[in-house]
Amino acid sequence: MKRLKTLCGAVALASTVALTACGGSGTGSGVAQSGGDLVMARADEATSLLPSVPTDNASIWVIEEIYDTLTVPDQSGKSVQPSLATSWTQSPDKLSWTFHLRKDAKFTNGKAVTSADVKFSIEQNQKSDAPFSFIDTVITKIDTPDAATVVFHTKKPWSPLPADMALYANSIVPADYGGKSATEFAKHPVGSGPFKFASWSKGSSLKIVKNAKYWRKGLPHLDSVTFTTVPDSNTRATQLASNQIQINEYPSNSSIKTLKAQPNLTVNMFPSSEIDYLSMNVRRAPFDDVNVRKAISLAIDKKAILQAVYYGHGTLAGGFLSPTTWAHNASIKPVPHDVAAAKAALAKSSHPHGFTTTIMVGSGSQDSSSEAQLVQGDLAKIGIKVKIKTLDPSAESTAKHAGNYDMAFGLYTTDIVDPDEIARFAGTYDGGSNTLYSGYKNSKMDALAATASSSSQQSERKAAYDKMQQIIADNVPYIPLFYVPGIYSYGKVKGFHPAATGNYFLEKVQLTK
Amino acid sequence: MLRWFARRLLLAIPVVWGVVTISFFMMHLAPGDPARTALGEKASNASVAALRHQWGLDQSMPLQYLNYLKQLVHGDLGTSVYYHAPITSLMAQRLPVTIILVVLSAILTMLISVPLASRSATHPNGIAAVAVRLFNAVVQGAPTFFIGAMLILFLGVRIAIFPAGGYPADIGGRAWALVLPALTIALGTVPIMVRGLRAAMIESYGSEYVAFARSKGLPERPIRYGYVLRNAGISGVSILGIQVGALASGALVIEQVFAIPGMGSMLMTGILNRDYALVQACTLVFGLLVVVVYLGTDLAYARLDPRARLS
Repeated sequence: MKRLKTLCGAVALASTVALTACGGSGTGSGVAQSGGDLVMARADEATSLLPSVPTDNASIWVIEEIYDTLTVPDQSGKSVQPSLATSWTQSPDKLSWTFHLRKDAKFTNGKAVTSADVKFSIEQNQKSDAPFSFIDTVITKIDTPDAATVVFHTKKPWSPLPADMALYANSIVPADYGGKSATEFAKHPVGSGPFKFASWSKGSSLKIVKNAKYWRKGLPHLDSVTFTTVPDSNTRATQLASNQIQINEYPSNSSIKTLKAQPNLTVNMFPSSEIDYLSMNVRRAPFDDVNVRKAISLAIDKKAILQAVYYGHGTLAGGFLSPTTWAHNASIKPVPHDVAAAKAALAKSSHPHGFTTTIMVGSGSQDSSSEAQLVQGDLAKIGIKVKIKTLDPSAESTAKHAGNYDMAFGLYTTDIVDPDEIARFAGTYDGGSNTLYSGYKNSKMDALAATASSSSQQSERKAAYDKMQQIIADNVPYIPLFYVPGIYSYGKVKGFHPAATGNYFLEKVQLTK
Repeated sequence: MLRWFARRLLLAIPVVWGVVTISFFMMHLAPGDPARTALGEKASNASVAALRHQWGLDQSMPLQYLNYLKQLVHGDLGTSVYYHAPITSLMAQRLPVTIILVVLSAILTMLISVPLASRSATHPNGIAAVAVRLFNAVVQGAPTFFIGAMLILFLGVRIAIFPAGGYPADIGGRAWALVLPALTIALGTVPIMVRGLRAAMIESYGSEYVAFARSKGLPERPIRYGYVLRNAGISGVSILGIQVGALASGALVIEQVFAIPGMGSMLMTGILNRDYALVQACTLVFGLLVVVVYLGTDLAYARLDPRARLS
C-alpha cells in the first residue's frame, strides 16, 4: 500500500495553534446504537474502485468494504481467515492450490458468487498494466471444475498463495464485469462485500450503504458510511471536534498530544506493518563502503528523531521485517546511537575524515524534512556534511527508481499477510525496488527468498527470513528506522480496529450515542 | 464595438496557445513519471512500461505535443489518468464551484473595501482610518491559509455558525459552506483594493469638479456617490480585474484548507500525480478565465468612463 505523508508544511504550523484551542463535543464511550451514517474524513480521494487498478489507500479501504476476497487477513496480520473460500489445500506435488467457495455469497446484483467470477477477477489482476500483477504472475492457469471450486496452478511451489488471495487487488468481481465495460463497471461497482456502492460525488464524498443480504449474518451494523475528502489535517481535526465527522484518518503526529487531552475523542494506535527507513545508494562512492554505511547507522540518534518528529509514536526498528509478521527476527536489535563507534567505523573506511553528500527529501512532508535536519546534525558530528535536497514526491520517486540519489527516506507497508512480498521488495535486487533503491545485490538473498516461498514448513521459512534480515543488518544497504503504528482519532464510534494490513472491517463498527 | 470585440478575441488566441504550450512543456520536462506514480512503487517495471505505452508516453515529445494540440482543436481535453475520467466531465463538476467561489470573493472584496476606503478617504486622520490601516497590515501580513484556519476555528468551531470545512450535498448547505472560504480569499485582496480606492477617492476629493459641486451647494452624500466614487470606481475596476488572477490562485490554496472540491484542489492533485492532461486543462481554463475577465474589465471601463473608446 502506498501512503504519501503529505502534510502541507505551512498549514501544520497553524494546526498546533488551532488544536490547542478547540473543544470537543463527541462522547468516546457511549452506548452502541444500530444503524446510522458514519462519516470518515481522509486526506486524499479514492482514485478508482476497480480492484485491479488503484494503489492508494483511499481506494483500497473502500474496495475492501465493497468486495470480498477469497481469504481475509486476521486482525494481527499474521495469517488469513476464510472469507469467500471456506477451505484451501495445496496439492501433494505442491504445484496447485484448490479453493472451495462458500455457496451462500451473492453479489449485490443478486447473482451467486461462483468459480467463474473468481477466475475472471484474478485474471484482471494478471494483466500487465495492473500494479499488483507481480503478486499473481506465479499463477499459470486457473481451473474451475465446478461452480464452487477453483484450482490455481503455480509455476513453482508457492506457500504465500492463500495470503495473496487476501489482497484487495484480488477482490472478486462478477465475471465479465456483469456484461459491462471496465469503465462502466467502475462507475457502479458491484461486489459481495458488507457494503454496497451508493454514490460518488468526485472531489468531496463517496457513500456506501449496508448490504442487507451480506452473507455474514447480522453484519454490518451501520446503515451507511460516507468518506469525505478533507486534504488539510487541521480541518479534519476541527471537524472531528465538532462531530461533523466521526473518524479522522491520519491525524498529524504533532496534533496527537492535544487530541488525546480532549475527553470526548479517542486517539488509537493500531499495530501496522509500516517501517520507515533511510536508504543509501551503494552504487555510489562512498556508500559502496560498508564501513561508511555502518558509521552512518551508528551516528544517527534514532531515539531523538522518534521523539522529535514522531512524538514517540513508534518503536526503534531492528530487522527489516515488521514485528507484525511471524517472520520478524527479534534477535536483531536496533543499532545503538554511539558517536565513538561511528567515528571508529568511519576511520576504517575509505573516507576516514568524512565527506560531503546529499539527502533527498520529498516536498510537502514536514516530517521528512525535520528528520533530514536531525540526520544532518548527527552526521556533522562525525565529519559527514549533508546537504538537504528537496524534490516533489513524483520526482523523488523517479530519482529513487533511477538510483539517482545519495541518501533518501522512505517507508513501506505490506499488502499481504505473508512475509514473502516485503522479503522480496526490501530484501532482493529484483524484487521491484533494487533492495529499497540502495542497489545492494546479493545472490544469497534471492536464494533465501526462493527457499522461503517454496517451503511449506513454517520453521524452514522462518529460518530463511531470519537469515535475510541478518544479512541486511550486517551489510546496512539501508537503515530500518522505526516500526510505525497506524494512528486514528475518532469520536462517537465503537468497534473500530484496523488490521495490521490496514483493513478497516467497517462491518463491525458501530456509532455510539 | 463588434470589430473591437472580434479583434480582442483574435488576440486571445496567441495568449491561450502560449499558456497551453508552456504548461505542456513545463509538465513534460519536470522529473517524475505519471505511470510510476499511478502504479505505486511496488509495481514491476514491465507494468510501468505497459502503462506508459497505453498512455502514449513512449512517443517522442514533439509528437505528443502535436497530438495534444490536435486533440485540443477538436475540443477534447483528454482523460485524467488520476481520476480515470474524461476531463470535460471533471470540469463540469469543478469549474462552477471555483467560479462561484471567485465571484463570491470578488463581491465580498467590494462589500468590505468600499466602506473602508470611503471612510478612510473622508476622514484620513480619524481613528477609523488608523484602524483600517492596521487591519490592512495584519490581513496582508498573515498568509491566507492561516486566516482560513483561524476563521474555521472561530466561526466554525467556537461559535459554530459555519461548517468547519467540507462541501455538503444540498444547495443551501453549499452556499453556506462557501462563505468562509470566499471571505478568506477576499481578505487577501481587500488591503490592495482599499489602498487603491482610498488614494483614488482622496485624489477625486481634491479635484475641481468636486470643488465645483460643493460650490454649487450639493450635499456630501451625492458628491461621494455621484462624483467621487464614480471616478474612483474606474481604478477600483482595474484593480479588481488584475486581482482576479490573485483571487483564482487564492482559491487554489483555500480550497484545500476548506475541503472545497473546485479547480484548485484538482490542479494540486494533478500536479502531484503528474496528470499531464489534467494540469494542462486546468491551466488552459484558468488562462481563459483571466482573458475573459480582462475583456470584461475593458468593457466596464468603457461603461464607466466615456473618455475610454473601444477602438
